[in-house]
Amino acid sequence: MSDTNQNGCLTVGEGVILNGTFIVPESASISGNIEGEITARELILTSTAVIRGKVTADVIDLRGEIYDTLIAKKSLFIRSTGKIVGTVQYAEIEIEKGGELQGTMQKIEPAPAAPAYAAPTGSGNSDSTSEA
Amino acid sequence: MFNKRRDKEDGVQSTQESHGMTPEKGNGPIPGTLGIKSASNGNLKPSVISEGFEFIGEIRSNGYLTIDGTVRGTLSLHSVQIGSTGTLDGNLVCETVNVKGNFSGSLDCSDLTIGSRAIVDGKLTYKSITIQRGGIVKGELRKKG
Repeated sequence: MSDTNQNGCLTVGEGVILNGTFIVPESASISGNIEGEITARELILTSTAVIRGKVTADVIDLRGEIYDTLIAKKSLFIRSTGKIVGTVQYAEIEIEKGGELQGTMQKIEPAPAAPAYAAPTGSGNSDSTSEA
Repeated sequence: MFNKRRDKEDGVQSTQESHGMTPEKGNGPIPGTLGIKSASNGNLKPSVISEGFEFIGEIRSNGYLTIDGTVRGTLSLHSVQIGSTGTLDGNLVCETVNVKGNFSGSLDCSDLTIGSRAIVDGKLTYKSITIQRGGIVKGELRKKG
Protein backbone atom coordinates (compact mmCIF):
# COMPACT_ATOMS: atom_id res chain seq x y z
CA MET A 1 0.00 0.00 0.00
CA SER A 2 2.75 2.45 0.99
CA ASP A 3 4.51 1.73 -2.32
CA THR A 4 1.59 3.18 -4.24
CA ASN A 5 1.39 6.30 -2.07
CA GLN A 6 1.96 9.50 -3.96
CA ASN A 7 3.70 12.56 -2.59
CA GLY A 8 1.37 14.90 -0.78
CA CYS A 9 -1.43 12.36 -0.42
CA LEU A 10 -3.19 10.97 2.64
CA THR A 11 -4.98 7.67 2.97
CA VAL A 12 -6.97 6.85 6.08
CA GLY A 13 -8.14 3.26 6.24
CA GLU A 14 -11.42 2.01 7.65
CA GLY A 15 -11.41 1.82 11.43
CA VAL A 16 -8.62 4.37 11.80
CA ILE A 17 -9.44 7.29 14.10
CA LEU A 18 -7.51 10.53 13.69
CA ASN A 19 -7.58 13.73 15.72
CA GLY A 20 -6.03 16.99 14.76
CA THR A 21 -5.34 19.32 11.85
CA PHE A 22 -4.38 17.90 8.47
CA ILE A 23 -3.12 19.78 5.46
CA VAL A 24 -2.95 17.60 2.38
CA PRO A 25 -1.44 19.26 -0.73
CA GLU A 26 -2.90 16.69 -3.08
CA SER A 27 -5.50 14.00 -2.63
CA ALA A 28 -6.92 12.65 0.63
CA SER A 29 -8.80 9.37 0.61
CA ILE A 30 -10.67 8.76 3.84
CA SER A 31 -12.39 5.62 5.01
CA GLY A 32 -11.94 6.11 8.74
CA ASN A 33 -12.94 8.72 11.31
CA ILE A 34 -11.42 12.17 11.54
CA GLU A 35 -12.04 14.77 14.20
CA GLY A 36 -10.58 18.16 13.56
CA GLU A 37 -9.67 20.17 10.55
CA ILE A 38 -8.69 18.88 7.13
CA THR A 39 -7.61 20.82 4.07
CA ALA A 40 -6.91 19.07 0.80
CA ARG A 41 -6.95 19.68 -2.92
CA GLU A 42 -9.07 16.64 -3.56
CA LEU A 43 -11.01 14.83 -0.88
CA ILE A 44 -12.55 11.43 -1.37
CA LEU A 45 -14.70 10.02 1.41
CA THR A 46 -15.83 6.42 1.14
CA SER A 47 -19.09 5.21 2.67
CA THR A 48 -17.45 4.35 6.01
CA ALA A 49 -15.80 7.75 6.44
CA VAL A 50 -16.95 10.20 9.09
CA ILE A 51 -15.42 13.65 9.53
CA ARG A 52 -16.37 15.99 12.35
CA GLY A 53 -14.88 19.43 12.03
CA LYS A 54 -13.91 21.84 9.32
CA VAL A 55 -13.34 20.42 5.88
CA THR A 56 -11.88 22.49 3.05
CA ALA A 57 -11.10 21.15 -0.41
CA ASP A 58 -11.23 22.12 -4.07
CA VAL A 59 -12.99 18.94 -5.10
CA ILE A 60 -15.00 16.72 -2.77
CA ASP A 61 -16.46 13.34 -3.62
CA LEU A 62 -18.63 12.29 -0.70
CA ARG A 63 -19.97 8.83 0.05
CA GLY A 64 -19.50 9.16 3.80
CA GLU A 65 -20.54 11.72 6.40
CA ILE A 66 -19.36 15.21 7.23
CA TYR A 67 -20.52 17.16 10.28
CA ASP A 68 -19.93 20.84 11.01
CA THR A 69 -18.38 22.90 8.22
CA LEU A 70 -17.63 22.10 4.61
CA ILE A 71 -16.08 24.35 1.98
CA ALA A 72 -15.81 23.05 -1.57
CA LYS A 73 -13.95 25.64 -3.64
CA LYS A 74 -14.60 23.96 -6.96
CA SER A 75 -17.02 21.09 -6.88
CA LEU A 76 -18.97 19.06 -4.38
CA PHE A 77 -20.44 15.72 -5.35
CA ILE A 78 -22.67 14.01 -2.80
CA ARG A 79 -23.32 10.38 -3.70
CA SER A 80 -26.38 8.44 -2.62
CA THR A 81 -24.80 7.36 0.70
CA GLY A 82 -23.31 10.78 1.39
CA LYS A 83 -24.47 12.97 4.25
CA ILE A 84 -23.64 16.51 5.31
CA VAL A 85 -24.96 18.22 8.41
CA GLY A 86 -23.85 21.77 9.06
CA THR A 87 -22.69 24.75 7.05
CA VAL A 88 -21.86 24.17 3.40
CA GLN A 89 -20.14 26.53 1.00
CA TYR A 90 -19.72 25.37 -2.56
CA ALA A 91 -18.90 26.63 -6.02
CA GLU A 92 -20.67 23.80 -7.80
CA ILE A 93 -22.81 21.07 -6.35
CA GLU A 94 -24.38 17.81 -7.41
CA ILE A 95 -26.42 15.45 -5.23
CA GLU A 96 -27.49 11.97 -6.17
CA LYS A 97 -30.88 10.76 -5.05
CA GLY A 98 -30.53 9.48 -1.50
CA GLY A 99 -27.82 11.93 -0.60
CA GLU A 100 -28.56 13.94 2.52
CA LEU A 101 -27.96 17.61 3.07
CA GLN A 102 -28.99 19.49 6.18
CA GLY A 103 -28.03 22.94 7.28
CA THR A 104 -27.10 26.22 5.69
CA MET A 105 -26.11 26.38 2.05
CA GLN A 106 -24.10 29.14 0.49
CA LYS A 107 -22.76 29.45 -3.01
CA ILE A 108 -19.29 30.90 -3.43
CA GLU A 109 -17.38 31.90 -6.55
CA PRO A 110 -15.23 29.10 -7.93
CA ALA A 111 -11.58 29.16 -6.90
CA PRO A 112 -9.52 31.25 -9.33
CA ALA A 113 -7.60 29.37 -11.98
CA ALA A 114 -4.02 28.41 -11.27
CA PRO A 115 -1.76 31.52 -11.12
CA ALA A 116 0.29 30.16 -14.05
CA TYR A 117 -2.76 30.74 -16.25
CA ALA A 118 -2.44 34.56 -16.26
CA ALA A 119 1.16 34.67 -17.41
CA PRO A 120 0.83 32.82 -20.74
CA THR A 121 -2.21 34.90 -21.73
CA GLY A 122 -0.27 38.10 -21.21
CA SER A 123 2.76 36.90 -23.15
CA GLY A 124 0.48 35.53 -25.85
CA ASN A 125 -1.03 38.97 -26.35
CA SER A 126 2.33 40.73 -26.58
CA ASP A 127 3.52 38.05 -29.05
CA SER A 128 0.60 38.62 -31.34
CA THR A 129 1.07 42.41 -31.29
CA SER A 130 4.76 42.13 -32.08
CA GLU A 131 3.98 39.80 -34.98
CA ALA A 132 1.42 42.21 -36.35
CA MET B 1 -49.10 40.88 -29.98
CA PHE B 2 -50.37 37.43 -30.81
CA ASN B 3 -48.07 35.88 -28.28
CA LYS B 4 -49.24 38.19 -25.60
CA ARG B 5 -52.88 37.39 -26.21
CA ARG B 6 -52.26 33.67 -26.27
CA ASP B 7 -50.38 33.86 -23.01
CA LYS B 8 -53.22 35.71 -21.41
CA GLU B 9 -55.77 33.21 -22.59
CA ASP B 10 -53.64 30.34 -21.34
CA GLY B 11 -53.22 32.06 -18.05
CA VAL B 12 -56.90 32.71 -17.59
CA GLN B 13 -57.61 29.06 -18.19
CA SER B 14 -55.05 28.10 -15.61
CA THR B 15 -56.46 30.32 -12.95
CA GLN B 16 -59.97 29.15 -13.60
CA GLU B 17 -58.82 25.60 -13.30
CA SER B 18 -57.12 26.25 -10.02
CA HIS B 19 -60.11 28.11 -8.71
CA GLY B 20 -62.19 25.10 -9.55
CA MET B 21 -60.03 23.03 -7.27
CA THR B 22 -60.35 25.16 -4.17
CA PRO B 23 -61.56 23.45 -1.03
CA GLU B 24 -65.02 24.89 -1.50
CA LYS B 25 -65.52 21.76 -3.51
CA GLY B 26 -64.84 19.79 -0.38
CA ASN B 27 -61.85 17.70 -1.39
CA GLY B 28 -59.07 20.25 -1.54
CA PRO B 29 -56.08 19.87 0.74
CA ILE B 30 -55.70 21.84 3.91
CA PRO B 31 -52.70 24.11 3.67
CA GLY B 32 -49.71 22.86 5.54
CA THR B 33 -50.60 19.21 5.19
CA LEU B 34 -48.95 16.64 3.04
CA GLY B 35 -49.88 13.23 1.79
CA ILE B 36 -53.08 14.19 0.10
CA LYS B 37 -52.89 11.12 -2.03
CA SER B 38 -56.34 10.57 -3.34
CA ALA B 39 -57.72 8.61 -6.22
CA SER B 40 -58.78 11.86 -7.79
CA ASN B 41 -55.18 12.59 -8.73
CA GLY B 42 -55.52 10.80 -11.99
CA ASN B 43 -58.71 12.65 -12.88
CA LEU B 44 -57.20 16.10 -12.61
CA LYS B 45 -55.71 17.57 -15.72
CA PRO B 46 -52.41 19.34 -15.23
CA SER B 47 -52.66 23.09 -14.90
CA VAL B 48 -50.23 25.44 -16.55
CA ILE B 49 -49.20 28.96 -15.66
CA SER B 50 -47.70 29.77 -18.99
CA GLU B 51 -44.76 31.95 -19.87
CA GLY B 52 -45.42 35.67 -19.61
CA PHE B 53 -48.26 35.15 -17.17
CA GLU B 54 -48.12 36.29 -13.59
CA PHE B 55 -50.26 34.84 -10.86
CA ILE B 56 -50.50 36.28 -7.37
CA GLY B 57 -52.49 34.44 -4.75
CA GLU B 58 -53.23 31.02 -3.39
CA ILE B 59 -53.53 27.75 -5.29
CA ARG B 60 -54.79 24.51 -3.76
CA SER B 61 -55.11 21.28 -5.63
CA ASN B 62 -54.50 17.55 -5.54
CA GLY B 63 -53.16 17.73 -9.04
CA TYR B 64 -50.23 18.88 -11.08
CA LEU B 65 -49.11 22.38 -11.87
CA THR B 66 -46.50 23.53 -14.33
CA ILE B 67 -45.18 27.03 -13.81
CA ASP B 68 -43.54 28.62 -16.82
CA GLY B 69 -44.59 32.13 -15.85
CA THR B 70 -44.41 33.88 -12.51
CA VAL B 71 -46.27 32.84 -9.38
CA ARG B 72 -46.24 34.67 -6.08
CA GLY B 73 -48.15 33.28 -3.17
CA THR B 74 -49.07 30.14 -1.32
CA LEU B 75 -49.37 26.84 -3.12
CA SER B 76 -50.56 23.47 -1.89
CA LEU B 77 -50.43 20.81 -4.56
CA HIS B 78 -49.52 17.24 -5.30
CA SER B 79 -46.88 17.96 -7.85
CA VAL B 80 -45.22 21.10 -9.18
CA GLN B 81 -42.81 21.66 -11.99
CA ILE B 82 -41.16 25.03 -12.32
CA GLY B 83 -40.03 25.27 -15.91
CA SER B 84 -36.84 26.96 -17.03
CA THR B 85 -38.69 30.24 -17.61
CA GLY B 86 -40.76 29.86 -14.46
CA THR B 87 -40.45 31.70 -11.18
CA LEU B 88 -42.13 30.83 -7.92
CA ASP B 89 -41.90 33.14 -4.97
CA GLY B 90 -43.71 32.09 -1.82
CA ASN B 91 -44.75 29.05 0.17
CA LEU B 92 -45.08 25.67 -1.45
CA VAL B 93 -46.36 22.47 0.16
CA CYS B 94 -46.13 19.59 -2.22
CA GLU B 95 -45.27 15.91 -2.74
CA THR B 96 -43.04 16.18 -5.75
CA VAL B 97 -41.21 19.29 -6.91
CA ASN B 98 -39.05 19.67 -9.96
CA VAL B 99 -37.32 23.01 -10.28
CA LYS B 100 -35.74 24.03 -13.55
CA GLY B 101 -36.25 27.77 -13.09
CA ASN B 102 -36.28 29.99 -10.03
CA PHE B 103 -37.70 29.33 -6.62
CA SER B 104 -37.53 31.50 -3.55
CA GLY B 105 -39.43 31.13 -0.33
CA SER B 106 -40.27 28.14 1.80
CA LEU B 107 -40.76 24.66 0.45
CA ASP B 108 -42.04 21.51 2.13
CA CYS B 109 -41.99 18.39 -0.03
CA SER B 110 -41.13 14.70 -0.25
CA ASP B 111 -39.23 14.51 -3.47
CA LEU B 112 -37.19 17.52 -4.55
CA THR B 113 -35.31 17.70 -7.84
CA ILE B 114 -33.23 20.75 -8.67
CA GLY B 115 -32.17 21.04 -12.28
CA SER B 116 -28.85 22.19 -13.62
CA ARG B 117 -29.99 25.73 -14.39
CA ALA B 118 -32.22 26.18 -11.38
CA ILE B 119 -31.76 28.80 -8.70
CA VAL B 120 -33.32 27.89 -5.39
CA ASP B 121 -33.21 30.14 -2.38
CA GLY B 122 -34.99 29.73 0.91
CA LYS B 123 -36.07 27.25 3.52
CA LEU B 124 -36.29 23.77 2.07
CA THR B 125 -37.70 20.72 3.82
CA TYR B 126 -37.53 17.44 1.95
CA LYS B 127 -37.46 13.67 2.27
CA SER B 128 -35.33 13.07 -0.76
CA ILE B 129 -33.23 15.57 -2.69
CA THR B 130 -31.44 15.49 -6.03
CA ILE B 131 -29.37 18.37 -7.33
CA GLN B 132 -28.05 18.23 -10.84
CA ARG B 133 -24.63 19.68 -11.53
CA GLY B 134 -24.88 23.43 -11.97
CA GLY B 135 -27.97 23.89 -9.84
CA ILE B 136 -27.68 26.69 -7.31
CA VAL B 137 -29.08 26.24 -3.82
CA LYS B 138 -28.92 28.79 -1.05
CA GLY B 139 -30.54 28.84 2.35
CA GLU B 140 -31.59 26.37 4.97
CA LEU B 141 -32.07 22.70 4.22
CA ARG B 142 -33.78 20.19 6.46
CA LYS B 143 -34.49 16.54 5.94
CA LYS B 144 -37.75 15.07 7.18
CA GLY B 145 -38.18 11.73 8.87
